[in-house]
This record gives sequence, C-alpha cells and structure tokens, in this order.
Amino acid sequence: MFARVPALAIAAAIALGGAIAAPAQAQQKLVINSYGGAYEQIHRRLVIDPFARKHNVEVQVITAYSADALAQVRAQKAAPQFDVIHFSGGQEVVAAREGLIAPIRLDELENGKDMHPFAVAGLSRGEGPVHAVAAVGLLYNKARAPKAPSSWNDLWDPAFKDHILLTDLSNSYGLLGFLMINKVKGGDIRNPAKGFDAVKGLLGSSVVVATSPEIQQNFAQNDAWIAPYAQDYAFTLRKAGLPIEFVQPKEGAAGVFLTVNLVANRPNQALAKKFIDFSLSPEVQAGWAQELRYSPTNKATRLDAALSREVIYGEQAVAGLVRFDPVEVADARAGLVETWKKLIAR
Amino acid sequence: MRDRLEDLALAGPGVAVLAVAFLLPLFEMLRLSVLGDDGGATARHFVRFLTDGYYLGVAWRTVHLSLLITALCVLVGFPLAYVMSRASPALRLWLIVLLILPLMTSVVVRTFGWMVVLGRGGLIPWTLWKLGLVGRNFSLMHTEAAIVVGMVQVLLPFTTLSILGVLMKIDRGLEEAARTMGASFLATLRAVVLPLAMPGILAGSILAFTLSVSSFITPSLLGGVRLPVLAASIYDAATRTLEWNFAAAQSVILLVGVLVVLVPYARLTGRRRG
Repeated sequence: MFARVPALAIAAAIALGGAIAAPAQAQQKLVINSYGGAYEQIHRRLVIDPFARKHNVEVQVITAYSADALAQVRAQKAAPQFDVIHFSGGQEVVAAREGLIAPIRLDELENGKDMHPFAVAGLSRGEGPVHAVAAVGLLYNKARAPKAPSSWNDLWDPAFKDHILLTDLSNSYGLLGFLMINKVKGGDIRNPAKGFDAVKGLLGSSVVVATSPEIQQNFAQNDAWIAPYAQDYAFTLRKAGLPIEFVQPKEGAAGVFLTVNLVANRPNQALAKKFIDFSLSPEVQAGWAQELRYSPTNKATRLDAALSREVIYGEQAVAGLVRFDPVEVADARAGLVETWKKLIAR
Repeated sequence: MRDRLEDLALAGPGVAVLAVAFLLPLFEMLRLSVLGDDGGATARHFVRFLTDGYYLGVAWRTVHLSLLITALCVLVGFPLAYVMSRASPALRLWLIVLLILPLMTSVVVRTFGWMVVLGRGGLIPWTLWKLGLVGRNFSLMHTEAAIVVGMVQVLLPFTTLSILGVLMKIDRGLEEAARTMGASFLATLRAVVLPLAMPGILAGSILAFTLSVSSFITPSLLGGVRLPVLAASIYDAATRTLEWNFAAAQSVILLVGVLVVLVPYARLTGRRRG
C-alpha cells in the first residue's frame, strides 16, 4: 500500500505542474461559430487558419447553425463563451436588441471604408457587418427535371409534382424561400395567410427537410427535381457531382445577408474586431466567391468576368435582390414558425 | 454516532453532485415553466400546451408510439431472452454481443443507415416493390413506422437483457416439473416462466418506455419535421423560437407523464416482490 504513494505523488505533481505551466504559455484564444460541412471547411481554409497563423492565436470553432448559435449566446448572457458569432438569418437584429452583441464603429475596421453601404447599414443598430451575400432562388436537377423553372410559380406546375423539396422554416434559407413564395402569392410578412395556403397545396406532393445535407441526400437518392434554396448550395451540390443549377426566378431572388458580429462582455474584443475585419478583406471575399459562390460585400474585391456572372456582383446587382426588413422578420419569426409547424404536421 | 458521520461522509460527495447537476437544473426548469413576462407566476404556458390540438397531438403521438415500441421490444425480447437463457454460455455470449452491437455505433451513423435502407430505392422499399406490393416511388422514411423500427433496434437490448437477467435465475427444475406433469411447452411458458419473469419484463419495459418517450435524435431524423415528438418540440421551443418558458412547461409535462406511468409500475413490482 505504501509503495503506491510515491507513484501517486509523482502523478499529482505532474498534473499540478501541467496546470500551472499551461496558462503561462497559453496563446490568446478566440472562440467562434461556423456552420459545419463544406462551409466550415472553406471557412477554416480562407479565414480561420490564416488568421490564427498571422496573429499567432488559437481559434476554437464551434459548429452551430445561426438559430442554435443565438440560443447559445442568449443562454450564456451572464458569461459568454463566444468571442465572434456568425449569423445567416437576421438573428443579429435580436442579438443587438438584447445586448448580446457589442456595437462596432465603422472606423474601427480597416476595410470599413471599402464596404458597400448595405453591408454596414446595421452598424448603427449595434449589429455586425455583412461579410457575404447569398441569393435564395430555385435549385433544379438539370438532368431529370422536365424543364428549367423560371418563376416561383413553377413550384405548382404539375410537371414537378411529387419531386418538390421544401425546407423547414427553422432553417434561414427555408424561411426566406417561404417569404418569397408568400410575396409571389400576394401576401406580406404581417399577413402570411396566402403563403401558407399556397404551401398547403404543395405538401401532398413534396418532401420537407430541415438541413442542407438532407437536401443533398434528396437530390441524390430520392429523386427530387426542384427546391427553393440558395445559390451557394447549388455550387456545393455541383462540386459533389450532382447536375444542379440555380435559377434566379423572374419575380426576384431573396437576399441572404451573412453577418459576423462581436459578442459583448468578452475580454479580447480587440482581437475579435481584427478577426471581423479580416473576414471583410478583399482576398477573403474573393476566396468565398471562388470556392462556394458567396457574393462579396467589399467593393475592393476583384473577381474575373466568368466568376462575377455566377454571383451577385456589385451594388446594383445586390440592390436587385429582394430584401426583407430584418427587424420585421425577427419580430414575425416566432409566429411564422408556429403556424408552419402546425401546417406541416401530419 | 460515528457510523452516522461515516455514512454521511461517504454519501456526501455523491449527494452533492446529484444536487448540483440534477436537482438544481430541475428546479430551475420548474421555475421557468411558471414564470410570466412580468416575473410573477402564471399557468399560461401549460394552458397553451393543454388547449392546443397540435401540441396534444404531439404528446399523443409520443405516447402511443412509445407504447407500441415498448410492446414490440417485449414481444421480440422475451422469446429472444428465453433462447439466450437456455443456450450454452459460449452461444449466449455471442448472442449478447450481437444484440449490443448496434449500440456501439454512434446514434447518428446508425440512424443514417436506416435512412438509406428505408428511403426511396433503399433495400426494404425495393424488395416490397419487386414483390409487387408497392409502387416504385414508395419510401418508408419520414413515417411513424420508420420511427418505431429505429427505436426498437436501439431499445431491444435494454429489454432483452433485463428479461435475460431474471430468466437466468429461474430454477430449471420448475419447468421440468411442469413438463413431467403433462404440460406442453407453451403451457409451461405461460404458467411457469412468464409469471416468474414478470419483474424482468416490467423493469425492461419501464426502461424502454421512458427512454423512448424522451428520445429526440432518432425520431427527428427518421420521422422528419412533419412528425414531431415531444422532445423535438421542446428542442424547437428552446432553440428555434427561443421560448424558454414554453419549453420548460413542455419538459415538466413530459416529466409528469413519465412519473404517472412509473408509479403504477413501481406499485406492481413492489407487490410482486413482497
């Protein structure tokens, strides 16, 4: 029994030594969220790893979709665990209102002067800048769909019956797809009855999914032909070998504004602001366009002619996107999701 | 006196962990469920759940699917456990490994496996199509049947091993005595083995029921967004619509429901043992 004591003592000493030594050598650490899958891989390659190397810091990535990320920062309000938080569904409006994210001044960002006005319009409300734009339109299977869709109303075309894919409203892109359907059918955010009636008619001949990988699975194995979803995801599916094309319907495509925000009450805000600034730099934005067809928000980003045709390039093109007021959407979201849940339940 | 102190000292850390990690969150959840917007107490969240057809439908679906899953687990588990108890020790070991093998993979990987097998063009719909029973586009995914299949696979080991434990302790001589008295095999099972195995069956079915009523990942992935169960609804309220009070109210309702089922079960097993 006593022979074991020295061994235990040594083990304890090593553990203690390790615990004391570690903080002394610790790098500064930044905790951020990313959206998983192909997005997170590219995010690491374009932004996270270069930033970590350049500033010699450790960046910890937590995979969480925007809604989950907002739920987490809200739960952690007293002691936040994130430094930088990314949102893709307008959650920054709610986060700013609840004091979960801290305001940034335009002059604190080196790239601030080069940003398109729409990208920094939210700064005055305490939100973070927009680092990428995506468009929500129609995705279709070029090889199997009987024709290329050109309008949101094509979803009700009998040619596509039983091969339609709808996305749940809990997903940011799904919500925007629904709001476009609602708009095309004559409703607006405060009166979505027409949109819900229209979707009700589609339910019998469509599949409802909640996440991007399920969309890929349905196109690949379940013979889906048409889906309202985002332009960047069409590119991801093409890279995966599926013949999917993106169409901007004639009534317009909805704009998705991905923001990067500074979480409030954290110690390393200066470093976090540098990270946010880095996300807005022209090289990074060109990389996003090249890899995943996200549209840049920095005027100084240079894209070659072919690439610029595949994204929404330039202030005018972005102005052509249908933008739903993020404040209105944030207020209406709970009600819309509730009605949707009851509509799709079997 | 020394004994009491020793007992307290030994139990102390365990009780402390239980209090902090279990009781504290539980009370916090109870508090949230009756919290109104003004900080006072309100039954608004419970009323919202209990008066809405949609939420009652979700609760009903959760309960009736769990009952079905439990019944299937027992129906499959009892014969399986009987065979395992009468097999040689080596064979029994292999059967146990075979039974627990699905539990050793990640729940998400296992569920994705079911998505491939049950989806359009998957093995089961394809076989049914070739047999002429269904159309070409038939899919078992996103149906209540898929939820039941996935959950039974996960919960069968719990039920079977509970019953196996009890069956192993039954004296072989009792069965032999019944057989020599002229009872058939099935009559022996019904009159001798089943009553003696009842504690194991009850324990296994409580386990299966409570696990399936609170399960979330498998029903969400296999049932899809159009067939929500209570745990999925709680997750939705907590993370998607950020209605924490309502999520807490639903959690309390789930907890009460499980306790309501446990009490008669506890009474049943108590009486039998005693």
